[in-house]
Amino acid sequence: MTPYLVRRLTPLDSRLALAALYAGAIVAAVAAGGSMFALFGANPVTAYLSLIENAFFDLRGFGYTLVQATPLILVALGAIVAWRSGFMYLGFDGAMIVGSTTATAFALGAGPGLPLDMLPSTIVVALAVLVGAMAGALWSAIVAVLQVRTGGNTVLISLMTNYIAIVLVQFLVSGPMRAVGDQPQTSLIDRAFWLPIIIEGTRTHAGILIALVMAAVIFVLMEKSAVGYELVAAGLNQKAARYGGVDVGRRVVQAGLVAGALAGLAGAITILGVQHRLLDGLSQGAGFIGIVAALLGRLTVPGSVVASLLYSGLTVGADAMQRHTGLPSALVQVVQALIVLFVLAAEIARTHRIALRAPSAAKARA
Amino acid sequence: MSTIFDATFLVTWLAAGVRLSGPLLLAALGEIYAERSGVLNVGVEGTILIGALASYLAAVATGSPAIGILAAVGAALAASLLLAFFYVVVQASQVVVGIVFNVLALGLASVIYRAAMGDVPALTSAPMIESFSIPGLANLPAVGPILFQQSPMLYATLALAVAAGLVLYRTRFGLNLRAVGENPRAAAAAGLSVVRMRLLCILLSGVGAGLAGGYLVLCQVGLFRDTIVAGRGFIALAIVILGRWNPFAAILAAFAFGLADALGLSLQLLALPVAPQLFIALPYLMTVVAISGLFGRARSPAALMQPYQEE
Repeated sequence: MTPYLVRRLTPLDSRLALAALYAGAIVAAVAAGGSMFALFGANPVTAYLSLIENAFFDLRGFGYTLVQATPLILVALGAIVAWRSGFMYLGFDGAMIVGSTTATAFALGAGPGLPLDMLPSTIVVALAVLVGAMAGALWSAIVAVLQVRTGGNTVLISLMTNYIAIVLVQFLVSGPMRAVGDQPQTSLIDRAFWLPIIIEGTRTHAGILIALVMAAVIFVLMEKSAVGYELVAAGLNQKAARYGGVDVGRRVVQAGLVAGALAGLAGAITILGVQHRLLDGLSQGAGFIGIVAALLGRLTVPGSVVASLLYSGLTVGADAMQRHTGLPSALVQVVQALIVLFVLAAEIARTHRIALRAPSAAKARA
Repeated sequence: MSTIFDATFLVTWLAAGVRLSGPLLLAALGEIYAERSGVLNVGVEGTILIGALASYLAAVATGSPAIGILAAVGAALAASLLLAFFYVVVQASQVVVGIVFNVLALGLASVIYRAAMGDVPALTSAPMIESFSIPGLANLPAVGPILFQQSPMLYATLALAVAAGLVLYRTRFGLNLRAVGENPRAAAAAGLSVVRMRLLCILLSGVGAGLAGGYLVLCQVGLFRDTIVAGRGFIALAIVILGRWNPFAAILAAFAFGLADALGLSLQLLALPVAPQLFIALPYLMTVVAISGLFGRARSPAALMQPYQEE
């Protein structure tokens, strides 16, 4: 007898069903990855154990996991705001880059003997983070305005704006902002303006605190406020929202501003906390991985924070694994992608069930 | 400044522009078919990479670039089947699937490359497809070096572009394909299988991307690196828009990106007061303007990115 896929009357939405599907997807991805470890003659169990230990149970490693998770959390929050409001923005990479650039310019402008020299360093840091966020907000709002005013395709426009931002940075670091030296990069930002390390003996800087505070703010905005309610309504059904008195265009532009601000913040924090100078190829795809984390978290704030931590933990553990055992860290990248793909595929199990007999309608037709 | 308008410079630049536009055009042609059927295949970037890897490994192993090209197409088809499963069967968000697939392809490609070539791979060059001067035409002044001393892959690509345009606009199949991308429900009501059409177009887009990967390795670079694709898949997406989903116009759009790329490279060598990045950014800006809806509409197929649920 051939099995049939039969559509469920209602999708499985219980917490238990979701947890089971996620667990199944993760186990399947980890197992598939494990078979690839064996390809390199390594024991998958010990490889995974050392990976987890390095990422979560080692102080330095866990500290670095937090560092890596910071931009992911912020971008994921931006994706939650944008995507739930019907603004299918993919330009987080570009907005991050724009935020990094303005924050760098501001912090460099506050160096000794320069116009902003007299400001106290905490004010400089706060303002640098702020201008980074504002620049990111304006960058993505352009796309939102185009969506609202001219009906341009947001997915395609925002993808293209990423490349414009990348080329812009290439121009700045090889021209106007270039420091003396071989590398196309700016000079180092004054140490006084670096984000402080919050856990002694690690590289964890204050950025993770900012990210967690923003997570709380976005949670309240999206789940508890009237504005958030209107944003989600606009995202679910524009026409119905408009009929219900929501100014959809205005809300979409606001969502664009918030989403871009969060990505710009991520960029500014990466500069002030990790990189301390602007260089080409800075974001390393965080603008896209953050979206993936948001989706793994089903576009909810707590889910996305957890997904960001897991994702960056895997990345950090993979690097440690490569250093210790020589296994390529790209193996873990495969596992990361497989987890998402399996979770997506598991959606079928939510909406369909497998039956051994043909559904009655089909039988009647035959 | 006079050097820019120097005749030799101009010819070299145009020839390089044509050369660099080849793989871009191939990937864009496939993408046009996918998008015209309603599927935005963001996975081209990863598919090009897989095609590049397959062509490199096969060509190095067999010593034959032709087998390299075949391997690129085969591997890209396999990758596209996976993509098609998610786009058409699972009906997940096309953008999400594409992005995650690109991550997967990058990881897989570097794992497989290391597994095949060892931990610290020696730089083994793949056998290349030599460029071919068309007798009689290649010696024409200016036009000869620009158009007729190129790789056989380029001539094949241009022929494919014309064929793709004719099929899309002059055949019943092309009409059906466009119908599926504009209004899948109406197309289904008229007796077309939306699922089968989209599946076919995704596979075609895979063939284009795979060929583009083979083209990159076997005609231009000769080596494999994880970074070899360097955003060309996304440029192909831009070319599709700038060419307004039309294979003929895509030839010109691909040429524009190829020229910008080539100019960026040569201006860096000349050390001019003009920033080369300005020219690199230009085609992207043109694309944003084309899609923004500010000046007329570059209208995408109406059902683009909309999963289709069979009744």
